[in-house]
Amino acid sequence: MVSVINTVDTSHEDMIHDAQMDYYGTRLATCSSDRSVKIFDVRNGGQILIADLRGHEGPVWQVAWAHPMYGSILASCSYDRKVIIWKEENGTWEKTHEHSGHDSSVNSVCWAPHDYGLILACGSSDGAISLLTYTGEGQWEVKKINNAHTIGCNAVSWAPAVVPGSLIDQPSGQKPNYIKKFASGGCDNLIKLWKEDEDGQWKEDQKLEGHSDWVRDVAWAPSIGLPTSTIASCSQDGRVFIWTCEDTSGNMWSPKLLHKFNDVVWHVSWSITANILAVSGGDNKVTLWKESLDGQWVCISDVNKGQGSVSASATESQQNEQ
Amino acid sequence: MKLKEVDRTAMQAWSPAQNHPIYLATGTSAQQLDATFSTSASLEVFELDLSDPSLDMKSCATFSSSQRYHKLIWGPHKVDSKGDVSGVLIAGGENGNIILYDPSKIINGDKEVVIAQNDKHTGPVRALDVNIFQTNLVASGANESEIYIWDLNNFATPMTPGAKTQPPEDISCIAWNRQVQHILASASPSGRATVWDLRKNEPIIKVSDHSNRMHCSGLAWHPDVATQMVLASEDDRLPVIQMWDLRFATSPLRVLENHARGILAIAWSMADPELLLSCGKDAKILCSNPNTGEVLYELPTNTQWCFDIQWCPRNPAVLSAASFDGRISVYSVMGGSTDGLRQKQVDKLSSSFGNLDPFGTGQPLPPLQIPQQTGQHAIVLPLKKPPKWVRRPVGASFSFGGKLVTFEGVKAQSPQGAEQQQHHHYVFISQVVTEKEFLSRSDQLQQVVQSQGFVNYCQKKIDASQTEFEKNVWSFLKVNFENDSRGKYLELLGYRKEDLGKKHNKEEKHECEFLPSAGGTFNISVSGDIDGLITQALLTGNFESAVDLCLHDNRMADAIILAIAGGQELLARTQKKYFAKSQSKITRLITAVVMKNWKEIVESCDLKNWREALAAVLTYAKPDEFPSLCDLLGTRLESEGDSILQTQACLCYICAGNVEKLVACWTKAQDGSSPLSLQDLIEKVVILRKAVQLTQTVDTSTVGVLLAEKMSQYANLLAAQGSIAAALAFLPDNTNQPNIVQLRDRLCRAQGEPVPAEQSPKLPCERPQLSKGRPGPVTGHPQMPRASTQPYYAHVENPPPPGFIMHGNVNPNAAVPPPPSPGHMHSQVPPYPQPQPYQPAQQYSFGTGGPAMYRPQQPSAPPASSTYLNTAYVSSATSYSGHSPLYAAQHPTSSTSSPAAAFPPPSALGTSFQHGGPGAPPSSSAYALPPGTTGTLPAASELPASQRTGSQNGWNDPPALNRVPKKKKMPENFMPPVPITSPIMNPVGDPQTQMLQQQPPPPAPLSSQPSYPQPHLLGSQHFHGLQQPLSQAGMPTSFPKPNIEGAPGAPIGNTIQHVQSLPTEKITKKPIPDEHLILKTTFEDLIQRCLSSATDPQTKRKLDDASKRLEFLYDKLREQTLSPTIINGLHNIARSIETRNYSEGLTIHTHIVSTSNFSETSAFMPVLKVVLTQANKLGV
Repeated sequence: MVSVINTVDTSHEDMIHDAQMDYYGTRLATCSSDRSVKIFDVRNGGQILIADLRGHEGPVWQVAWAHPMYGSILASCSYDRKVIIWKEENGTWEKTHEHSGHDSSVNSVCWAPHDYGLILACGSSDGAISLLTYTGEGQWEVKKINNAHTIGCNAVSWAPAVVPGSLIDQPSGQKPNYIKKFASGGCDNLIKLWKEDEDGQWKEDQKLEGHSDWVRDVAWAPSIGLPTSTIASCSQDGRVFIWTCEDTSGNMWSPKLLHKFNDVVWHVSWSITANILAVSGGDNKVTLWKESLDGQWVCISDVNKGQGSVSASATESQQNEQ
Repeated sequence: MKLKEVDRTAMQAWSPAQNHPIYLATGTSAQQLDATFSTSASLEVFELDLSDPSLDMKSCATFSSSQRYHKLIWGPHKVDSKGDVSGVLIAGGENGNIILYDPSKIINGDKEVVIAQNDKHTGPVRALDVNIFQTNLVASGANESEIYIWDLNNFATPMTPGAKTQPPEDISCIAWNRQVQHILASASPSGRATVWDLRKNEPIIKVSDHSNRMHCSGLAWHPDVATQMVLASEDDRLPVIQMWDLRFATSPLRVLENHARGILAIAWSMADPELLLSCGKDAKILCSNPNTGEVLYELPTNTQWCFDIQWCPRNPAVLSAASFDGRISVYSVMGGSTDGLRQKQVDKLSSSFGNLDPFGTGQPLPPLQIPQQTGQHAIVLPLKKPPKWVRRPVGASFSFGGKLVTFEGVKAQSPQGAEQQQHHHYVFISQVVTEKEFLSRSDQLQQVVQSQGFVNYCQKKIDASQTEFEKNVWSFLKVNFENDSRGKYLELLGYRKEDLGKKHNKEEKHECEFLPSAGGTFNISVSGDIDGLITQALLTGNFESAVDLCLHDNRMADAIILAIAGGQELLARTQKKYFAKSQSKITRLITAVVMKNWKEIVESCDLKNWREALAAVLTYAKPDEFPSLCDLLGTRLESEGDSILQTQACLCYICAGNVEKLVACWTKAQDGSSPLSLQDLIEKVVILRKAVQLTQTVDTSTVGVLLAEKMSQYANLLAAQGSIAAALAFLPDNTNQPNIVQLRDRLCRAQGEPVPAEQSPKLPCERPQLSKGRPGPVTGHPQMPRASTQPYYAHVENPPPPGFIMHGNVNPNAAVPPPPSPGHMHSQVPPYPQPQPYQPAQQYSFGTGGPAMYRPQQPSAPPASSTYLNTAYVSSATSYSGHSPLYAAQHPTSSTSSPAAAFPPPSALGTSFQHGGPGAPPSSSAYALPPGTTGTLPAASELPASQRTGSQNGWNDPPALNRVPKKKKMPENFMPPVPITSPIMNPVGDPQTQMLQQQPPPPAPLSSQPSYPQPHLLGSQHFHGLQQPLSQAGMPTSFPKPNIEGAPGAPIGNTIQHVQSLPTEKITKKPIPDEHLILKTTFEDLIQRCLSSATDPQTKRKLDDASKRLEFLYDKLREQTLSPTIINGLHNIARSIETRNYSEGLTIHTHIVSTSNFSETSAFMPVLKVVLTQANKLGV
């Protein structure tokens, strides 16, 4: 069952491009073609505008909340080629950093797992991906991957922080030996996986080919303690793929077609437990998908204006159709 | 930004949008020569590979053609969805011919690549367009006003759209309408455009501005608006693009005057109607918004003219432009950095002869300039306005708690781009629930935990079980909540005591019948044979020799019988010898039974016989070794390759009460990833943990790594379904595993409760500390509670938890403090002064429970405050901050004087039980499920105090007192902190506690009550009602504590079912029979003595507890349910105590334990042992 519990009238003056809840699900950040970023307190079904952030000079494409352990921090990226990091200090939201290292629209921002520190990946239409690392005292160090995706990177998504080998029982005390990875998707129809090597340099680790048009979004599934890595990708070509990698080396990725839609698919989002995928498409449709026991992805819900019913299984949904 | 380039002087056509990968076809253009003056012609196909960063385009095929081309288009007709290359290439030739090529054949290098051709036109075919609705329809235009409509399926005979326009003129452009399939437009250099309706077969409108200066070089329909089109003029005097709307066809709607010289080509983006490309003789390539006239972009080109420009149909950001310098360039409109791309271009340019080209068109070629090789960082900006294709219109993202945030683009903006009517831009936050069954089962589980209806629950599960194994598991679990669990376990394993008994009896009878009568005389022979020798040995009393002789002669039975007569030592030796000799199949079993070596059985039995092994362990193993034996067996089973046996290990772990291993084993055997299978597991785990809490003294407070993992997974699942409160309830709270700590914090906040930033992280840290402080280990008295309940039930109709009853009768102690008065209770409130710590508790509490609990801050209402305590404890771990001070304070006192307080005179059993059921301490359990709390307590607390005192709800008891001890019973939620001396110890304004501290720990004054950490407050609570001055006072002093831990909890669990339905009715206990009174006095006396010489609080506490636990014994004495053997044994012990021969007492004790029915003695024997051991140690 998908039921609206809160309808937030954002008062944006133009198209909304992204809406993200914070870590706890109590605050909503939205961004729009009207160049603004807004933050609402949506606890208990309310909608109190906390902040209306102005600073971008173009449509704002995405917003991303940092983990609360670093405070209330929001990153936004815009067509104006800038990334702005906003921070709440004493109840007031202010710009704390502006990154203007890109030559074209910045389409996607994504915070790394909090275990790594405060690191933001940004993907731009200039084909580059930049990585901003907070080094303290208001300083951000920038690393840039040039030409990551020819004519544009549309999406970046971090891999969950998983230490190779045992998932639990990390020896406490010493810093776990994380391997930082993220995925990106671009106008070269590719999904690329990037890995930080020992020297702190980012190297292309994998190239996942499957889409026949721009990759619009990639979403690395949250870790649920299984050794399998999963990435969802969607594309201009209407296809949504689920990529899985079961070997520990992380080299053998195999795609499974979730569905081919008739229109561009803009966005994919995993549920926190990684068992449901929300797919939003160009026909303004939002659908929820779940993997059935036999490994097939099944649409369990059509969401329209936040409402929808949920069928429990493939068979049920078939029955519903009849 | 330039992406690619090819050096060709050619017409270009992108592969259709459906095609992947993207190809660009080029055909040598007519009327142009390159520097070589070559007149050869070719058709080439290039692949656009954007993953290759170089500027080169990969040529896939070249077909040498006899034709040069005026126009080249690539239609999607008969696109093969699987093939790489498909559709049809349509070329307009110099001689009035139209040629159809098969691009796939070109790429394959076939020789025959022409599908068809037709030279119906006169003069060069400069205009071609494919109908986007019927891709088999192609329109062509040539000289003499010729327009044909070709059906690619029937290429031979073209149609005309109507009568030729007059005067005859060249057709330079032709275009199908993008919205209405039968509308076609054509334009000519003369400047006139004609719109044709193919259904009417005639021109329907002619568009001209009458300036006569429009030389149409380009014509394009609006991608979205059927009535709009643009015309571009090549005339340098009027280098404009006119936007026409056929609804007002008298003059152009808008005129774009952005070029300085004539426009050579235009292209309107299908992906974004606001993007119109134009290139002109001013050497500019512009991208404008035809709806506003604004120039959005100027492509950074060199100074060459472009004569053809095309959007890539598939990649909306990509366009290609063909320039007169013999190059086709591919650009992106999204900007970017072109570093490193330029050099090559410059090199090539400088070596070309571009400016030698004499154009047939007579148009002057601008001087070829070599671009300045500036060192500047070449950044190309993107379009001023973001193109439509990057504007995400819709999105759906999950967030914590199973919430889905969605927004949808506002549909169909008005075609004019007319500035938006005021739209509301909404974001929807929805709750996604996908696992209904999971939730309802989880709900049931919670209810069960709350209501304590474990037996029913298990029974339901048994009934619903699909598999035998599942059924077994539930049966085993259920047994935990029943009396005589070991017996029941045995039954489950297929061993029924009665059955055996019957069989055995039969045989015995049989034997008896054939017994030779013993009446006759016999003759004692002392001859030299074995018989004789034995006889001699016997006659001389030399049992040893006699036995040896018998053994030697293989007369085993004789040997053993003689050995018995010869004393323990001989018997033991003989047994050993016997076993050494005997080879029978069951020898090892017998060996184990006799030698009490269960480990041997468990370790070495054939695993196929695991049932038998388990049965043996169930029958014989001592309580303290029982769990480890079960464990051992389970481990063996688990490590066995056989998967069936592996799963059976679960049963062993259930018997052992080993939750962690159960989880491990179950997880191994089942697919734990789906919510329902996790639910399957959690149900068992929760129930087993309950059982363990109730029946065994195994320390359930520690949550193993695996269990914690599973529980947090479970909590995560619940949270993901929006059941945040439930998730919190199930989340183990006494672990500092970071993921759980984080999840807890997240859940709390997700509920909308503002958690002070510092507080939440602390909580988890405090917990472990607290738990460390937990009083000594509790082991070895697993099943007492159960045992104790048995007799009681047998006797009384409405059995209260046994513990209480015993107290009542056995406490003739005058020193017992009077039942606490309300005032007294009141005094206890202070320990919870700060409201803040409770905040978290609120979050944890189930729905309704929360708020109610916090009211009691008006300390003036004593009962309320007491409720407060209670609930706080049960429901939340976070409340520790409040409690711990109190708790700390308790410790010092509790060791000395507490019991009295906790066990006020029993009475009013019936009534109190109603209340007691839900409040039963164990229920508080691992997951902070506040079983009693949520349901009954808060409700009760809302009642006015006066009502609460009414008997019907049991609230007349002074709850604070009773409840306090409860904390102990919830090891997981609450670990008493070690630091007794903690400063918080003196809660301000709590006279009681203060007093306690000041006073030496004398008798059992009221003051001690609050601090007594006794598990089953429930029971005690009820006793308050009946103000019998009972005898407890004596006991407080000397019973060891651990006993209490195990026993009192257990029976409650068992009884709850009954209890809840009990009518309110007083139960009076019988006196202990006079002849056994000596036992009580002796034991109590001993405890007192121990207490007086014991120094450390630990020991004292143990003794205190022990004294209470012995109530079980006294009850049994009252009910006279103990077997004579045990009674005799107890008297023997008492005698040995009187002679201070404690070690002898211990020996007797061991004997009793090993020979008696476990369930009969388990409630008190271990305690007795503790007392004896202590007495021995203290030498009192």
